[in-house]
Amino acid sequence: MISDETNQAAAYELSPSQEIPASLEVISTERPFSESLLVHNVSWFCQFRWLVIAILLCYGVVGLFPQLIEPFGIRRPGVWPFTTAGILVLSNLAFLYLAKTRIAPVQIMTNLWGQITVDLVILTGVVYFVGSLETSIAFAYLFHIVLSCVFFSGRQSLIVTVMAIGMFAVCIMAEYVFKILPSMSIFTGSFREEYSAPILTMLAFNFFLTIGIWLAVWYLASHLSSMVHKRDFELAETNRRLVAASEERSRHMLTTTHQLKAPFAAIYSNAQLLLEGYCGEIPEESRKVIERISMRCRRLTAEIQEMLQLANLSSTSMESLTRVRMVSTDLLEWCISQVEIIAKEHNVTIKTDIQPVAMLGAEDHFKMLIVNLLNNAVIYSHRNGQVNVSCKPGPNMEPVVVIEDNGIGIPADKLPRIYEEHYRTKEAVEHNKESSGLGLAIVKHVAEMYGIRIRVESRPGSGTKFELKFPAFDVDLEK
Amino acid sequence: MAYVMIVDDDQDFAETIALVIQKEGHEVQNKYDTESAFQSMQDRTPDLILLDVMFPEDSSAGFELARAMRHENEKLKKVPILMLTAINAKFPLGFGPNDIDSEWMPVTDFLEKPVDFDVLREKVAKLLDQERETD
Repeated sequence: MISDETNQAAAYELSPSQEIPASLEVISTERPFSESLLVHNVSWFCQFRWLVIAILLCYGVVGLFPQLIEPFGIRRPGVWPFTTAGILVLSNLAFLYLAKTRIAPVQIMTNLWGQITVDLVILTGVVYFVGSLETSIAFAYLFHIVLSCVFFSGRQSLIVTVMAIGMFAVCIMAEYVFKILPSMSIFTGSFREEYSAPILTMLAFNFFLTIGIWLAVWYLASHLSSMVHKRDFELAETNRRLVAASEERSRHMLTTTHQLKAPFAAIYSNAQLLLEGYCGEIPEESRKVIERISMRCRRLTAEIQEMLQLANLSSTSMESLTRVRMVSTDLLEWCISQVEIIAKEHNVTIKTDIQPVAMLGAEDHFKMLIVNLLNNAVIYSHRNGQVNVSCKPGPNMEPVVVIEDNGIGIPADKLPRIYEEHYRTKEAVEHNKESSGLGLAIVKHVAEMYGIRIRVESRPGSGTKFELKFPAFDVDLEK
Repeated sequence: MAYVMIVDDDQDFAETIALVIQKEGHEVQNKYDTESAFQSMQDRTPDLILLDVMFPEDSSAGFELARAMRHENEKLKKVPILMLTAINAKFPLGFGPNDIDSEWMPVTDFLEKPVDFDVLREKVAKLLDQERETD
């Protein structure tokens, strides 16, 4: 009996592929940097602050010797450079400690905002002592404005700019309008008790000009920064799509392999049933026919796999590859384990001399390359033969892998053609009928993709030696 | 005589394998989807399971069944599983005997299709012997 649930009518509509949601842009402007990058920036700000502390201390020390500064019309600064440097040292140590111990995203942001606020307050003090309107020191606020445009969102960098304007305005009001603080400057004679009206107008003009320049710089820097962030985000999204497409292709390749190999597995099993007498005795002539069916079936299965591998390699773009760091010992041991069964069948011994050398590439491709060469070395060896596998670092620490057999060898005139698809020498066919002639074509493809130099030496009847020189391990490429 | 269950959606393949194992003197049950296989093995626990990976409705149903047996059912926890699939480790996302692992691929042994009957008979005998020893 069919239940009501399974008997109900149903409909399903195939939708076109979905586009990227528009909200991504909002995400990119709200948080332009990842947490790890923010932690790095927190430490970088602290390092930069040590430089400022050093400059203040130098100025303070030079100020202790009037004969050094007075000829240039500079006043003795007194203790303010030392006091300011001291406050900066304490705050910097506190920020460094917090950067190491408080690593949650909210704590990192609090640290950054704390640093900016303390910096702006101290900078306002320095601006006052150096000469808020008599000198161009007020432009030092631009460092914070521009850096906040780079590291924060547009809204957050505007808050920093408004904070800077507010503190500078408070300093100017206290100094020139309400006269709560005496006018200060590092230059002797540049400040006086009372300024004349034209000078005051000029100072007011300087104040508004400075603020106008800050706002213009904020607008330009935040606009450029948001464009760069947007582009970064688009690149990351493209990369994500490429990786997803690559995964989808791998999945498709796996399903195709299964779908093509499974029927042959069934045919092969049925042929074996007949050959092994499970279905009764069969005439000798029929047995030979079934043996041929069985052998071709096995060969076709291997060929399907190699054709798919080759197709997969040909359609792979280097940009979409994920390179990983490998150690030659792990890679070669894995590859040798893959040919151990066939080596046992052919009674071939594999001797190894493998030193650990770093390699960089897609693991699947390197495995494919080595397994194909090892497979050939074993298959084209004589019975009781030996295959030697070695790996040593070259002059530039590049991995050099050598796979050498004492098998049937390749005639010299045929060597240039061995990498052609489906090409097989007469000697190879006589020795082993079950090969597709695609193994070395796969080797060539992988070698070209990664700039691996392959040198082959062979002597018919004595054996073949493949020497693979991998590119030197590039640390920058790994990053 | 042991009770062997073959779980494979390829009926032609499953029947040939079943015949080989039956001739070895074992009782064989073929199941062509993992749900009915799981149901059936709870009613009667097999001594050995020959399990495919890719099924029409789920390309990793074989893995799911192996995990369910190992992690969700006390009775089926120790039943040896021989994974029998056309997939191998030569492709990205592929797998092989070296990938056997208690969480991701909790099977006892692995054989790639097409399979030689000599190898199959040897593996089946070995796994059934191990099963008897642990009992």
